[in-house]
Amino acid sequence: MNKKELTEILFKLTRQNGVSGDEFCASKTAAELLKKYTSDVTVDDFGNVIANIGKREEGKPHIMLDAHIDEIGFIVTYITDEGFLKISNCGGIDRRLLLAQQVEVLCSNGQKIIGVITSTPPHLESDDKKAPKLDDIFVDIGMSKENAQKLVSLGDRIIISNEPYTLLGDRITSKCLDDRAGVVTLIETLDLLKNELESLNCSLSVVFSSQEETGERGAKTASYKVNPDIAIAVDVSFARVFGDSKEKCGEMGKGPMVGVSPSLSKSLSNRFIQIAKDEKIPYQIEVMGGTTGTNADAIGVTRGGIKTVTVSIPLKYMHTPVEVISISDIENSARLIAEFLRNGVEADA
Amino acid sequence: MLDKMRELCLINGISGDEDKVREYIISKICDKCEYDVDNLGNIIALKKGRKTPKNKVLLSAHMDEVGLIVKYINDDGSLKVESVGGIDPRVVFGRQVTVGENNMVGVVGGVAVHNLSGDDRDKAVLFDKLTVDIGALSREEAEKAVSLGDSVYFRSDYIEFGDGFVKSKAIDDRFGCALMLELIESELEYDTYFSFVVQEEIGLRGAKAASYTVNPDYAIVIEATTAADLPDSEGEKSVCKCGDGPVVSFMDKSTIYNKELYKLAFDTARENNIPCQTKTMIAGGNDAGAIHISRGGVKTMAVSVPCRYIHSPSCVASKDDMKNSLELVKLVLNKLYNRQ
Repeated sequence: MNKKELTEILFKLTRQNGVSGDEFCASKTAAELLKKYTSDVTVDDFGNVIANIGKREEGKPHIMLDAHIDEIGFIVTYITDEGFLKISNCGGIDRRLLLAQQVEVLCSNGQKIIGVITSTPPHLESDDKKAPKLDDIFVDIGMSKENAQKLVSLGDRIIISNEPYTLLGDRITSKCLDDRAGVVTLIETLDLLKNELESLNCSLSVVFSSQEETGERGAKTASYKVNPDIAIAVDVSFARVFGDSKEKCGEMGKGPMVGVSPSLSKSLSNRFIQIAKDEKIPYQIEVMGGTTGTNADAIGVTRGGIKTVTVSIPLKYMHTPVEVISISDIENSARLIAEFLRNGVEADA
Repeated sequence: MLDKMRELCLINGISGDEDKVREYIISKICDKCEYDVDNLGNIIALKKGRKTPKNKVLLSAHMDEVGLIVKYINDDGSLKVESVGGIDPRVVFGRQVTVGENNMVGVVGGVAVHNLSGDDRDKAVLFDKLTVDIGALSREEAEKAVSLGDSVYFRSDYIEFGDGFVKSKAIDDRFGCALMLELIESELEYDTYFSFVVQEEIGLRGAKAASYTVNPDYAIVIEATTAADLPDSEGEKSVCKCGDGPVVSFMDKSTIYNKELYKLAFDTARENNIPCQTKTMIAGGNDAGAIHISRGGVKTMAVSVPCRYIHSPSCVASKDDMKNSLELVKLVLNKLYNRQ
């Protein structure tokens, strides 16, 4: 796909909501997109999208390509007498950006209602500027308790809604690029291989897993089911922003970040780096001292252990509604994974 | 009035860069009254009524809104900004913004929370740490798209929600502008002056010049004011409440209001069954601060719509409060023209 098409499907996916544990809208859209490449696509009881491609045979390695479909958000825990909502987080929301954010309450009846996160005016605050605790804020939906109760149920999810936009060059901003950018990378990988999917010397399961943000739970059950020989977890990682230290981050626009970590398969990491070099695909090495904070952590210890590697798209402002990525990093990540599936599998299986 | 307010709120105009707001207002009033634009950019209008009153009465609202201004471009192409007007940096971080004349989309970000240690995770990101990102990957790329001094605006839709509420940027003080436009478009009994002023948010500067020029006997400032009627604010801490009607203060940080007019406002509201409230904390300030000490002094009052999350991208106000403010202003105005 060209940059425009990639941007379009990415925007299509980020416009769908899929807060952890309630991924249905996003899962459904992603599953539809996979149907272009295989008819064997299901959404399981856990909310995982699983698509099988190629004939699974003895002696032929089976590869699981994973990206998580869920996004961070909130969950309604209480309605106050004044009609304001108390909320808890689903995933690690950045509390520094909560005040006066516009949100959408995704009501269980399907309706979406607008709200604003409360913000106490400065003259009423005693301390200096702190990131609020979730306990200190409410969601203002401009309703009496009676009216609120007619629409909102405890357990409804809330998201910070933001239209996606194109910025300068091929950079784009949206909510939940973590990890819809990974989802699009895998769709693009299939697209690059669309004429050779049946002739690959491996079979594939593409998994868009649920509940990564609340503890890599979808990937755990999905990888048990899929039972692959090799898994590639595609997620986002830190692109350096103003104020960041160089050693902690990758750089936007400089290609996929290949994970190197004691928790990952060293041979797979090396294989990916070699392919990037051979094919002249820009890449960056992301060294992590322990586990990776991605689905790779759960997948790697599934059943009797699965060889796993991470390929990450550099992203700015992680876990905010204004995440930024470069489309070129999706393109190069997809090229790298496609090239591995074409020529690199044998060496590791 | 609400249609005009929607249009006004969606126009971008921080202090000192009010041109587009002024153009809109002039397009609405040009064939309905006499007007002049002064050296600061204030619009001073005289709407002729059927009669000339004994007193010269001025209504005033400000055109500017709070926002940001670009002051530096970093090596990595991100922009350093400073606030124009009083903004809590916590309502800036993690937002979409509009940058410069070409309305470019940008986002406000900083170091990801994961990359901070301990205490820093609980600290607000202040203006010296946050940056505006327009997608540039280098200073050179950014320089082609923005200039130092460019204005930066909150990107926020005007949305009606809940039981009769509105959410938008810039309700402070496009509400006042919309209310005055409504009056200029109507037939007035007496000649009335209107000033649409600049630079309120950086120190009541436009109103100072405009009130000198008009030299009124009475002035009414139309504004939006802080409401903190949240579930955890008790007693006086809520300041004023959305839905409880227009706010008329006895005192704020910039003005001790004329007692006679304060009483007149509440008497008028009572006689006409219009809800009306005062502020229960001495907080905030508005153009009354400049107008009431203009020349030899002007008897001044302010009528404000209560507004939650003021000076943020998501200001919230009640439509009923807006309508009641308009009614109250009309009635009070009629009592000022020939007041002894």
